[in-house]
Amino acid sequence: MPVVHRPIGRCCFMPALLICLMTAPAVAQNTTQGRPEPPRTTVAGYMDLHFNKPEFEDGRVDFHRFVLLFSHAFTDRIRFVGELELEHALVEGLEEAGELELEQAYIDFLLTRAFNVRAGMMLMPIGIINERHEPPSYYGVERPFVDTVIVPSTWFEVGAGVHGEVGRGLRYRAFLTAPMNAAEFGADEGIREGRQKGANANMGRPAATGRVEYVDYPGLTLGASAWTGHSGFEFRPLFDVPVSLIEADVRYSRDRIDLRGEFAQIWLSNVARLNDTLARRIGVNPNIGRSLRGFYTEAGYRAVSGARFGDVGAFVRYENFDTQFKMPQGYLPLPEFDRDAWVIGANYWPHPDIAVKVDYSILRNRSSVIEAPNSFNLGLGWWF
Amino acid sequence: MVVLMRYVLASLSLALFISALVFGAPVWPVKAAAPQDVRVVEIVAERFRFTPSEIRVNAGTRLAIRLRSEDTMHGFHIVGTDIDLEIPSRGSEATVMFLPEPGRYTFECSRLCGAGHPFMRGVIVATR
Repeated sequence: MPVVHRPIGRCCFMPALLICLMTAPAVAQNTTQGRPEPPRTTVAGYMDLHFNKPEFEDGRVDFHRFVLLFSHAFTDRIRFVGELELEHALVEGLEEAGELELEQAYIDFLLTRAFNVRAGMMLMPIGIINERHEPPSYYGVERPFVDTVIVPSTWFEVGAGVHGEVGRGLRYRAFLTAPMNAAEFGADEGIREGRQKGANANMGRPAATGRVEYVDYPGLTLGASAWTGHSGFEFRPLFDVPVSLIEADVRYSRDRIDLRGEFAQIWLSNVARLNDTLARRIGVNPNIGRSLRGFYTEAGYRAVSGARFGDVGAFVRYENFDTQFKMPQGYLPLPEFDRDAWVIGANYWPHPDIAVKVDYSILRNRSSVIEAPNSFNLGLGWWF
Repeated sequence: MVVLMRYVLASLSLALFISALVFGAPVWPVKAAAPQDVRVVEIVAERFRFTPSEIRVNAGTRLAIRLRSEDTMHGFHIVGTDIDLEIPSRGSEATVMFLPEPGRYTFECSRLCGAGHPFMRGVIVATR
């Protein structure tokens, strides 16, 4: 099969094409239809090493993520994908040090381009980062705050559903999964601790999630996601806690420019009752909001691209997020949870799969008592 | 003038005759493959998509598929064929020829490239 690898440069294309034409047989492919292809198993992964220096505190070095991905093709139409993540390098009891998480482990049944079935442990198809979080693929040492405390990335759960692509670049995914556990919700990190993570997860009333995406225009991704579920299974039949999330995002990446923006909002019901019940259970009122909201915009530019020593890019990101955007009747929001942040920094890619990152995060809140610390961050991330 | 033309024509005829004897083929340029028989298609790969993801061609059109990555190394495999090549990381590109018969050909990323790798699929639709 004539395959030509070459550095990009239009002047070289015609000679390469001529070589292909001269050497190509009349039919340029060797059809293997009707014969099963040999099973293919591949391993890949990424690593994320951080140094964080918050204001007024000592700096810390953290091997934040060590992730291995596995893929196996039983046939052309039946695939397995797995992702195992070790967070913070060391696993001890009660997650004090780190976590070992099975973030993906599913089987894909590829039926047609427009309709495929997936079952197992899956990433929730919500937001920019949750499904696309390899360190060299984004600016900044840490993931955006909005993709942490509003969209609880990495968000994964057991379930099943369908996905596919219709026409040119219109994609969808729709899954039924285990719901969240409202008993673990909080004021600071919202619904994040409510993820069941497929660990003997309650499936009394499955949650539904979906995403539509338009990806046909070069470099542009337009996406919208939703998640809805009844998360009060620990409190039924007394009351339930319906949770709904909507999210919209846009990403444009072309040549040297990388632009992205995301908006997400969450609504919870029966929150006053949830707060009262949890206050009696744990002795402290968790002050969970009935609505959480966040958004961010980011602009990045590769000032150096294609140089012998690699690429260099700079970025700036503005984030606004509030985990007590609306409170239930009788509750007042705490201003420390109404936050915004400016993150400014740079990435250096000595290789497309390796990123050395530096940034400074200016975090603010509305409280006059509790300060939000700024932080200086260094990171080294790689993909293989 | 007429005599001169006869000499020129005779010389050309002789040259063609000798060339045919020596090379076994006429010396005038062979007509290259007609440009309309080759269609150049550029596909950009990035986590986790091919753009464009749907390509429509007339069957019998020879496709010169230029493959370029915006980020990491990807793969390009046309299911049911032996076409399976690496798309180098950002900064280089690969080209492969494909002559489809009528039908639908699914192509996909054949190198595990990240959490959303299975979404990297597309189709070539060849119609008569």
